[in-house]
Amino acid sequence: MLLGAIARKLGDDIKTFATMPARTVRKWSYTVQAVRRGELPASEVLKVILSTIAATVVVLALLFPIYWILMAALSGSGSSLYTSESFSLLPSNPTVKPFIWVIGDLIVPSYSISAAIPFTDLAFVFQTPGIEILDASDYGVDRPSEFKRFLWNSLMVAIPTVLIAMSLIIPAAYALSRRKFLFRRKILFVYVLMTQVGGGLGVALLIGMYALYVQFGINDSKLALAVYYAATAVPFNTWLLKTYMDGIPVSYEEAAVVDGAPPWRVVTEVIIPMSTAGLATVFIFVFLTGWTEFVVAQTLLGTENYTLPVGLYAMVDEYSIPWARFSAFALTFASPIMLAYLFAQRYIEGGLSFSGMEG
Amino acid sequence: MSTVSRAADRIESVPFLTRDDASLLLVLPGLFVFSAFMLFPVLYLLGISFTNAEPANLFAGEGVVAVLTFGDALFVGLENYVDVLTDGQFWNSFGVTWLFVATSVTLKIGASLAIALIVTSDLVRGKRVLRSLIIFPMGLPPIFTITVWRGIFSSAEFGLMNQLLTAFGASSVAWLSGRWTAFVAYNVTEAWLAYPFMVIITVSALQDVPEELHEAAVVDGAGFLARFAHITLPSIKRPVLFASILTSAASFQQFLIPFVFNQGGPARANELIVVYGYREALSFQQYGRGAAISIIALVFIGAFMWLNVKKGKLADGVND
Repeated sequence: MLLGAIARKLGDDIKTFATMPARTVRKWSYTVQAVRRGELPASEVLKVILSTIAATVVVLALLFPIYWILMAALSGSGSSLYTSESFSLLPSNPTVKPFIWVIGDLIVPSYSISAAIPFTDLAFVFQTPGIEILDASDYGVDRPSEFKRFLWNSLMVAIPTVLIAMSLIIPAAYALSRRKFLFRRKILFVYVLMTQVGGGLGVALLIGMYALYVQFGINDSKLALAVYYAATAVPFNTWLLKTYMDGIPVSYEEAAVVDGAPPWRVVTEVIIPMSTAGLATVFIFVFLTGWTEFVVAQTLLGTENYTLPVGLYAMVDEYSIPWARFSAFALTFASPIMLAYLFAQRYIEGGLSFSGMEG
Repeated sequence: MSTVSRAADRIESVPFLTRDDASLLLVLPGLFVFSAFMLFPVLYLLGISFTNAEPANLFAGEGVVAVLTFGDALFVGLENYVDVLTDGQFWNSFGVTWLFVATSVTLKIGASLAIALIVTSDLVRGKRVLRSLIIFPMGLPPIFTITVWRGIFSSAEFGLMNQLLTAFGASSVAWLSGRWTAFVAYNVTEAWLAYPFMVIITVSALQDVPEELHEAAVVDGAGFLARFAHITLPSIKRPVLFASILTSAASFQQFLIPFVFNQGGPARANELIVVYGYREALSFQQYGRGAAISIIALVFIGAFMWLNVKKGKLADGVND
């Protein structure tokens, strides 16, 4: 039901996005007609056009670094970002080679499955076909990156992070929002205080943490790292979700109770569905904590367990950065998050509005 | 009957809320995990700061006993603190950190307010699309964007910033080799990294400003600046203040930018305090000294956070 709702919203988004050009054209034609009839002064329209152009220029300028690096990835000129000719808007001969280097081979190897029939000498041997989706060497890439290993490591960190953090955050946020209990104010105060703690405090603590982890022998454990990430995510996200839940009127729960719903159903049928925006925001924040954190992961993990950010930075050398491969790697790593961001944006904006934070 | 007590009565009327204190159990797991991974390392760090710990003696021995005795490290009292506080290097790092907080926060607030006003302006069409685009950088891993900015500020002739400068007829600058040019580069990068978050909060605050107020002011003949100063600013003050506090705490703890750009260089001139502690410990193997620096940094971060919460009335909602 929750997934269905999300799918429906996504469908709406896609529809809105797809019909946007048509609607824009229609709006403009109305405007043009209005100007022709003299209902709308042309200067007003000109003002709008100029402001829109100016705003677009500002936004594009802000995004220029990303565009620049995307072009570097596509031009694939090898080791350097600094070509002798000056910057051009489109690469002269675009190539996807760096991306293929990142992804590497996508080959499902063939397995043989043998099944012996008991009490006889007969045995069946099946050979599953090998599926070759992408063979990097076809494109002249001999030694693809270790992206898949890093990806696996990152998932093994990020998934437990999300699971642990969500199971700590949701009940706490609910309790803090709806009930009055011992130490409630003190706990909230501590959480608000700790909200300001970014990754920086983690770095300040790093010496102590590193020493502790080494002595307990968990410094190279992905699970230990995940628990650490979940712990750092607790204060801010609990508080955020609590603030969000404060905005849900208590009367909905009362109505459910009057209708005879047991407590757990009040939570699953009222609280959880009504805090979708808050939950989505918290989910993304927690996921990103584990997905993009660099310093702690780099200090604690060994080469075998490198996560994506650490693997990415390992490509950077003191004097030269293989820009094409570097940016292809980073963009492949970031693209799912960026897509999720675009779609979850309305939730994030809703979930992050602190205008109701007095509550 | 006051609203507060009515609300309390309402909550009371939900039957499973009778044993209210039991809900503390829902909060405790989170609190416990957080303390175990935050508070405990702080205590351990405090312990290390009173010893002459180095990798050689700290990691001697195995198991719980070795943890509690800090390996074979010796207790040296306040030696590390005296050492650090009489070191010019520390005071340089300390000063640079505060300067960075002041400049970068000003830049961040100014830039984000301007961007937020642009993407909420009535004169601009396609605001939703612009807004989706504008928070794009938030989805990129910081380690990536910071490395990209390092490339932008590259001292080489063909770094993006230098190309821009030459396009305007100026000569190129060796950004990361000069102290203050590197500092400027830090600020610009920090502002770019932080703007999506600031803009999101400012935009949603701006959308809550009642349209009627603006209309009334326009009727009264108020210009854009007057409306901005007397209507917009007062209505968005609280959320923006909140975002500024969060972002200034982030500036204070900035680590990745100096670390990736030039390791807090040139010649350790721009080591922000967190970088300084990290480098003393993990690059120069002076764990005790690094721990002392980190503890001093923590004291300042703590005081700063506490002041913010008190003065910024961040915890207003807590005291209901």
